Amino acid sequence: MESIAHEIYSDLVEDACLGLCFEVHRAVKQGYFFLDETDIESMKDFEIVDQPGVDIFGEVYNQWKNKECVCPNCSRSIAASRFAPHLEKCLGMGRNSSRIANRRIASSNNVNKSESDQEDNDDLNDNDWSYGSEKRAKKRKSDKYNYNSGIYYETLGPEELRSLLTTHCGVISEHTKRMCTRSLRCPQHTDEQRRTVRVFLLGPSALTLPEGDAVVENGSYETSDGPVLVSRLQWDGSSDISPSDSGSSKASTNNSETKKPKKKKSSLTVSSVTGGVGY
Amino acid sequence: MSKESQLRALVNQKLIEMGERERLKELLRARLIECGWKDQLKAHCKDVIREKDSEHVTVEDLVAEITPKGRALVPDSVKKELLQRIRAFLAQHATL
Repeated sequence: MESIAHEIYSDLVEDACLGLCFEVHRAVKQGYFFLDETDIESMKDFEIVDQPGVDIFGEVYNQWKNKECVCPNCSRSIAASRFAPHLEKCLGMGRNSSRIANRRIASSNNVNKSESDQEDNDDLNDNDWSYGSEKRAKKRKSDKYNYNSGIYYETLGPEELRSLLTTHCGVISEHTKRMCTRSLRCPQHTDEQRRTVRVFLLGPSALTLPEGDAVVENGSYETSDGPVLVSRLQWDGSSDISPSDSGSSKASTNNSETKKPKKKKSSLTVSSVTGGVGY
Repeated sequence: MSKESQLRALVNQKLIEMGERERLKELLRARLIECGWKDQLKAHCKDVIREKDSEHVTVEDLVAEITPKGRALVPDSVKKELLQRIRAFLAQHATL
């Protein structure tokens, strides 16, 4: 039995050797047997480099990290590795910068509420159509809301103006000549502005702001007779209130009496003893 | 035919039929590559071929040169392992 085992073993080894011979013979005949032999000189060219500060190919690998470049836009010297992102922000190009700009405009839009920004927003939003379209839809909605409810003061009669001004801020926007329809305490406009608008629209004595604390701005405004007469009628004290009079005391007392004119009545009532001037 | 040769023939037949021969062959090849036998022998081949002109080497030449060396170069561990497997097979299947 043992001899049989050995015979089998020998046969197997011989098979292996034959296999190798065929392989080598074919390689020789096909010409690829000696391919892995190169001369020593070209071997030296590709030897592994083992020096400090240098990679295995012999290249210095952080050569450009410490270099500084001068930005062509803002003429600052920037580190090389931060140069690309800086340039993106500096030139205002690239996805991130447009996103940041959009966000900034959105937040300032809520503060200012000026409609002229609408066009700028649309331009910027065109860069990122998928992202921008959502923003645009949102913004359009809010802008439309403002847009439609702005009011031209020229088309309104004095009574309408007055009723508007008792409930709304009414400050006229520089760009659009529309009156602000926000509440009387709207944060975009100051009380000073509101007073100016009321004087401008209704005459110097038509100040019925609840927060009024003030000096009436008389003087340079031409007022029609109507409002002056009406205001005369309205106030107690009924002393002559001429446009040129800068009587602050009278005005202030009057103002304090008329502290809550928030009702929107259409008729004029003369007596206002009970306080509150009704329209 | 002698009994032994009969037996031998039978064993061989069984070996092939059961696929054990192929398995043993693969095992041997793997072991020989692992232990570097193949590379050694290949280097020897290169020398032989360089001595004779490389254009006209024949398979027979190579075989004649290589096989004896190859047989000699097989490490003992590999030889033992293979013999063990063969014996195991015989023990299992040689009872007719």
